[in-house]
Amino acid sequence: MSRAGRPDAETKLRGAVEFGTDLAVPGMRWGVLVLAPAAHGRIRRVDLSAARALPSVVAIGADDVGPLVGGAKGDPDRPPFPSREIVYRSQPIAAVAAPSLAAAREAAKAVRVEVDAEPAVADLERLFPEWPGPQARASPQVAAHVLAHRGNVDRALAEAETVVAETYRTAGIHQVALEPHACVAEVTGDRWTVRTSTQSPFGVREDVASILGIPEASIDVEGTWVGGGFGGKGASMLEPYALLLARAAGAPVRLALTYREEFLLGRSTLPAVVRLETGVRSGRIVARRVRLLLDVGTSLPGRDFATGYAIGFLLGPYRTDAFEVEGFAVRTNKPPFGPHRAPLAPQAAFVAESHLAAVARAVGQDPEAFRADHLWADGSTTPLGQRVGPFGLAAALAGARARAAAWRAELPAGHGVGIGLGFWSTGTGAGGEARLRLDDRELVVEQGEREIGSGSVLIGLAEVAARRTGLPRERIRVNYLGTATAPFDAGVFGSRTVGALGRAVDDAAGSLLADLGRRMGEVGPVTLALEGDGLVARGPGVTRPLAELLTPHERATGGLRAAGRHYGVAGEIDASRVVEGGFYAYHDFTGAAHVAEVDVDPSTGGVQVVRYAAFQDVGAVLDRPAAQAQVEGGVVMGLGTALTEEAVWSDDGRLTNPGLLDYRIPRMPDVPPIEVVFVEGYPGAGPFGAKGLGEPPIIPVPATVAAAIEDATGAHLTELPLSPERLARALKAGRPSRSADAARRR
Amino acid sequence: MSAAPPSIGVNGRPVALEEVPGDERLLDTLRWRLGLRGTKEGCRTGECGACTVLVNGEGRLSCLALAHELEGTEVTTVEALHQDPVGRAVQEAFAEEAALQCGYCTPGFVVALTGLLRGDGPPRPTPELLAALGGNLCRCTGYASIARAVERARTRLR
Repeated sequence: MSRAGRPDAETKLRGAVEFGTDLAVPGMRWGVLVLAPAAHGRIRRVDLSAARALPSVVAIGADDVGPLVGGAKGDPDRPPFPSREIVYRSQPIAAVAAPSLAAAREAAKAVRVEVDAEPAVADLERLFPEWPGPQARASPQVAAHVLAHRGNVDRALAEAETVVAETYRTAGIHQVALEPHACVAEVTGDRWTVRTSTQSPFGVREDVASILGIPEASIDVEGTWVGGGFGGKGASMLEPYALLLARAAGAPVRLALTYREEFLLGRSTLPAVVRLETGVRSGRIVARRVRLLLDVGTSLPGRDFATGYAIGFLLGPYRTDAFEVEGFAVRTNKPPFGPHRAPLAPQAAFVAESHLAAVARAVGQDPEAFRADHLWADGSTTPLGQRVGPFGLAAALAGARARAAAWRAELPAGHGVGIGLGFWSTGTGAGGEARLRLDDRELVVEQGEREIGSGSVLIGLAEVAARRTGLPRERIRVNYLGTATAPFDAGVFGSRTVGALGRAVDDAAGSLLADLGRRMGEVGPVTLALEGDGLVARGPGVTRPLAELLTPHERATGGLRAAGRHYGVAGEIDASRVVEGGFYAYHDFTGAAHVAEVDVDPSTGGVQVVRYAAFQDVGAVLDRPAAQAQVEGGVVMGLGTALTEEAVWSDDGRLTNPGLLDYRIPRMPDVPPIEVVFVEGYPGAGPFGAKGLGEPPIIPVPATVAAAIEDATGAHLTELPLSPERLARALKAGRPSRSADAARRR
Repeated sequence: MSAAPPSIGVNGRPVALEEVPGDERLLDTLRWRLGLRGTKEGCRTGECGACTVLVNGEGRLSCLALAHELEGTEVTTVEALHQDPVGRAVQEAFAEEAALQCGYCTPGFVVALTGLLRGDGPPRPTPELLAALGGNLCRCTGYASIARAVERARTRLR
């Protein structure tokens, strides 16, 4: 295996890479957004005149957008600024730019906003304290409704020997990328140019075009180095405002969020309530009903992706006969729901796993054995009718059970060990293209994604090219191009970079080698190698220096070129099981089984995770250090979701903890030793059998920690995060109900 | 009273403070007045550690320090860290362990660890070093590779 390390290490260690927050250009103005003072209300007046009276200040609001874009019509559903109704606190309602940040802040303060506040809905359970009936589909508060089933669930539940019913609640969280959103925009003639920290330059271009109503061909998006994404930088956020300010100012404008604003504007996972009923007969699950109420903030009707996406995860990777899944996406006066590393899957896995454990206990079975007995097999079909391809979850679980047994054999008092499972789909169907350029010195991968830290671009794409061509990674350079010149790619999200863009690179490499093969007289399969200081092409029994195989024109213009594309394979679901709504069709399943050992302080409810092991189905490991780092990072991010992270909103829609002191993410001393075990041999659709690894490692973590806490204390917690307050309360209330609010037996 | 105009040293170079407003944070002086943007801006409230610099060899959060309160001190930023043998060893340890991903917290980590490892006497035990880095947040790595780099740097400097 190539051990080239991280090609970006040296520059990052010297602080020499330019992130979005580091951008500066001569003559640049500083932008500041004016944020709504109430979570819901009618705008009476947004008066910009006092701000505009300040020297060298531009101020823009809803009325200015049309003239600034030359009368173009943007998507009426998502204007940059609202003109009548405010729908969440901190919604941008105006923007200013000035020659200094201090002057811009002064100008923002001078904007007078008069709002007739109206009652805000911040809590979805206040809206729907009970499960809403079908009539709720017509409610303006419902952004989407999904329903699917197979068989007669009511009858199957009635005929079950045991039915376990539970309700779970999970908190809103935030991505907490260390770098706040930031960009610099410039408008010259009809060229709208923005340099920005993004997971998807082409996605930003599409968004900007839609929001401002200007053609994509007029927009150039150049990605900067990205200081963490985690889903939060997948779509446009600041770019339309920065571009409008730049147009108004006639100068480049830098727009960056403060960290407090980063929380206030955050588009991330929002709270959910899940009700489940599971019926068991003769030790086998015969019926599942899952009902999801999901807070989607101010997501537009019909634009909710999350509900149909999440709901498949709530059944877990388990077989069932009859099932019904139903979900309501509920609109509240919060920022819109947005993707957060495996959106809702860690929460769903926590619910599914904890519930299955409760079901197992209610029928007198060992939770781990019970889950193993019901697991999807390789090649089986999911409840929604999707075929499960090569799937390493059973193998991962076997490893996890062995590790858990070893830890239990030496368990100190007050400690507990738990296992949690999770699965994910890494084929999003979103496509991409890449180009290669080869001369006698190096192979260059030209593509349109910035490295966001995971290594999927700089290491993953290079490793794919290395394995296909035979070149050492040191002679492969992955080059980033802006949207003006790059081949299209959908973005660095959905654990798709290696699986989809990597296949485009693989495709291009195949074309390149075939071309060389033709030039060498169809000698057979060709590979590349380094000989001395130059590159050579090798076929069976023949080696030719690259320099000889390139035409003079190619030598003069950067080398031999090839292009590749991969427009991903989307999964399919069984439409006969869907009654209503958009369900996400998973593809290329990957699974993980994790083990945690916890030490619980019963007096405080404090939990210390003392060791952790992750058994991770990855298809094939392309680069061990990078893969291991993804798992370690995912596990620790998941520990935050499990134990401490919770965005707390007041009843009037105010985020009460917009800072890193009150929203606590894991710190160095919180982190246990983490053992990473890769399960290979269940190949995915990616190059060389690889499956995506960006999101999967975070998924089982809250479930795993909850199982360990239950093992240590008997407390069956049904809310995330598993905070000291919640655990202490459960412990104080006495040996809490191990299984649920209502287990009934006949 | 000294008649010399107020100044600080930044990476061995004197920087006059005459034109620096009294309420300007060192972080902003470095990033926007001197163009030293290797020092990262994260939270600006002392909660993330991304802006850590060395002041007279000790780690300090530049977002919570006013430039003027550091008059007469020597400030070292990540841009000059490799000139310090301890800083260079720390950077090499991070590179060898690939103890970084997005890289946004990285300058703060390597500067903070350099501050902890400088000075006379044997390096502190690893658990103490890790605890002392508890104010530096990283969201990508899960700290595992960083802990390995801390151990590697400490061993090298023993």
